[in-house]
Amino acid sequence: MISVLRLFTLMLLAISLAGCGSEDNVTAGGADTWPDKPVRIIIPFGPGGLADVTMRLAGEPLGELLGERLVMENRPGAGGVAAATTMLNADADGYTLIVLTNGTTITETLFDDLPYNITEDLVPVSAVAWFDLVLLVNPDSGFTDLQALLEARGDNLRIATINPGSTQNLSAELFKSLASNNATIIPYRTTPDVLGALLRGEVDLAIDAYTALKGAIDNNQARPIAVTGEVRNPAMPDIPTAVEAGITGFVVTGWNALYARTGTDPAIIDRLNADIASVLATDDIRTRFAELGVEARANTPQEMQQRFLSDIEKWRRVIEAAGIETL
Amino acid sequence: METLSLLSMGFEQALTPEALLFCFIGVSLGTFIGVLPGIGSLTTIALCLPLTFHLEPLLGLIMLAGIFYGAQYGSSTASILLNVPGSAPAAITCLDGYPMSRQGRAGIALFITTIASFIGGSFAILLLIFFAPVLAEFAISFSAADYFSIMLLALTAASTLSVGSPLKGLAMVSLGLLMGMVGTDINSGQFRYTFGIPALADGINLVALAMGLFGVAEILNNLAAGNVPQAGKEKISFKQMLPTPEDWRAFRFSCLRGSFIGSFIGMLPGTGPTIATFMAYAAEKKLSKTPEKFGHGAVAGISAPEAANNASVQAAFIPTLTLGVPGDAIMAVMLGGLLIHGITPGPQLVTTDAALFWGVVASFWIGNIILLILNLPMIGLWVKLLSIPYRFLFPAVLFLICIGVYSVNNNSTDVLLTLVFGIMGFYFNRHGFPSAPLLLGFVLGPLMEENFRRALVLSDSSLATFVDRPISAVFLAMTAVLLVFSFRRKATLTDDKVQLAP
Repeated sequence: MISVLRLFTLMLLAISLAGCGSEDNVTAGGADTWPDKPVRIIIPFGPGGLADVTMRLAGEPLGELLGERLVMENRPGAGGVAAATTMLNADADGYTLIVLTNGTTITETLFDDLPYNITEDLVPVSAVAWFDLVLLVNPDSGFTDLQALLEARGDNLRIATINPGSTQNLSAELFKSLASNNATIIPYRTTPDVLGALLRGEVDLAIDAYTALKGAIDNNQARPIAVTGEVRNPAMPDIPTAVEAGITGFVVTGWNALYARTGTDPAIIDRLNADIASVLATDDIRTRFAELGVEARANTPQEMQQRFLSDIEKWRRVIEAAGIETL
Repeated sequence: METLSLLSMGFEQALTPEALLFCFIGVSLGTFIGVLPGIGSLTTIALCLPLTFHLEPLLGLIMLAGIFYGAQYGSSTASILLNVPGSAPAAITCLDGYPMSRQGRAGIALFITTIASFIGGSFAILLLIFFAPVLAEFAISFSAADYFSIMLLALTAASTLSVGSPLKGLAMVSLGLLMGMVGTDINSGQFRYTFGIPALADGINLVALAMGLFGVAEILNNLAAGNVPQAGKEKISFKQMLPTPEDWRAFRFSCLRGSFIGSFIGMLPGTGPTIATFMAYAAEKKLSKTPEKFGHGAVAGISAPEAANNASVQAAFIPTLTLGVPGDAIMAVMLGGLLIHGITPGPQLVTTDAALFWGVVASFWIGNIILLILNLPMIGLWVKLLSIPYRFLFPAVLFLICIGVYSVNNNSTDVLLTLVFGIMGFYFNRHGFPSAPLLLGFVLGPLMEENFRRALVLSDSSLATFVDRPISAVFLAMTAVLLVFSFRRKATLTDDKVQLAP
């Protein structure tokens, strides 16, 4: 009994210490000593997702380069608002970074009164990963060509995506406006639900990230008929881009990027940017990302900033054209 | 038989010293966090996921899976002893487990739940071994209309969850349905009843609600009543843990029915163990010749949900491993773990990675046996927990609840909500409003709404879809039978009001 109680107490102690550790806020020196304690990276998604997995994969060699451990902190929920709020409570000292995605550029338009302004409060460090969406059909449907599908289904086309406000869902809206004005977009809760709908044949087309449905494609449960990137996906060189398949203007590339608080010492940002670039250029990371269907590619903070602004503009047009109410 | 030779290959994989070690680590960790109120397997698995990056895929999966099903063994312990569920699915075990404990039968209750867990888990593992591909195809064929009709049946059966006034039970189900609406509407993306609180944008956290209504409320109850439960004065001998022949009779079939219901619900993507345990309990009470005993320490009231709980988590691996369609967040994390190793679950996994598939399946059984060996001797120890003075015990439990709730989303608003739900639950208890129907309404409501609307979109707004689809029609018919049955019973037994002692 005593030993159980002692174990219990130790457990509690360990848990509370672990809790305190993440709130640790010791003031650190300037850019020349940075980093002299672990760097926290806030991930606005749960563990196991694309942003989480890619960041953890890249985080390990990056931590070795920086000479300090990177601590991943998952803050899922509320379309990234929870994560961003945490980020804005942190100091601009380079010890707290956040992963933003193309989804953030949608939230910018979709939510009217966010408690923060990303473009003012955060500055880009570098992109980390880039990925396509894939247009998929059920192999039993017999379709191998996007145009044939559009002709055959006409106004009855049904498209499955995950929830409204996601990149996938708005990409379907964009597709609808460019290719099939009377299509019905059916929202599902999760990607596996979307796959289930496709397997049952209750939808004609599914639009989702390649990574998420790579397994289904490899297992011939779902057949890709187009990708949304500017160029073909190296993992599936036979599958045309949507533009090649005749949908002019249907280009969507998702990204994950690392951001810091505005006011962070530029020397720290430069150091991080250079280290991320060298990590992402290693063969190990490139292959591991490629296995996930993701391209590892860094860019400069200026390029990232431009990309962010142009994506905001792109999705604003889609949201307005689709008549989606902002919140 | 080919399956058996593959299975024996699986056992070869799962019986290596490393595999046994990781299986043991997984299930022990699982049992431990299962006992702790609020700290769930999702958090633990997420924390352990990065560790598996450096392990062989088989070892990693064995350990993560062990945490998952191990947690279900532990989760009823606190329900029975303290009336504080270790996890949301175990909330229903409070209804009869805690009264058993108050009657001095805590050892027996823990013994029964351990055996029921083992049988439930084993039942689903057998299904996984012999019928996985067929069952997965069957499960995935369920469309929106079918889901809606199953949920309707579950909700109708839920009317039996309440002890006492049926009207109060109904009111609580409705409140649960309303609370389930909080969050982002899946069809339009609009926020509903979030009052500008970002933490509510994804809905009320199930763990916060369950821990508040059952855990915090119970602590408040005890403090207000002043009659703090005390037990465990003498040592529990093995004999006192053994159920009586009468207990065994109540146990036998309820455990099998629970295993069946749990396996069925578990393999449907998107449902989860909470629905399984609540449905199993409702079914037992409906079928029982002595429904008035439920809520006062009925053995079937703990054996069926516990069997269902374990069956459902093992059955959840059926669509995950054979179709690559994970049924819930935990399964999705495990799938992510496999993807990192370049393994893509799907119909081909069984052939391309046969060693992995059968190794994992074999480890499930080994894990369940370890859990049985681990848990039975622990019963005496757990019961001793009750001898800790309440003034030490309740702050510790409250503390654990707070940590557990916080760890789900790393969100402090959830902790505050738990306390609010605790005060609500205290009020409900005081005035005879049962909390179990609320929890079921909360879990089922969003699923019903989502699937109802999706079914109509898919059928071009034709209500006929609910009777045209055979699966849906069967469940609607079962609902109708259940309703007729209930009304006839009401007519014969006009005065079956049993008042729950506050």
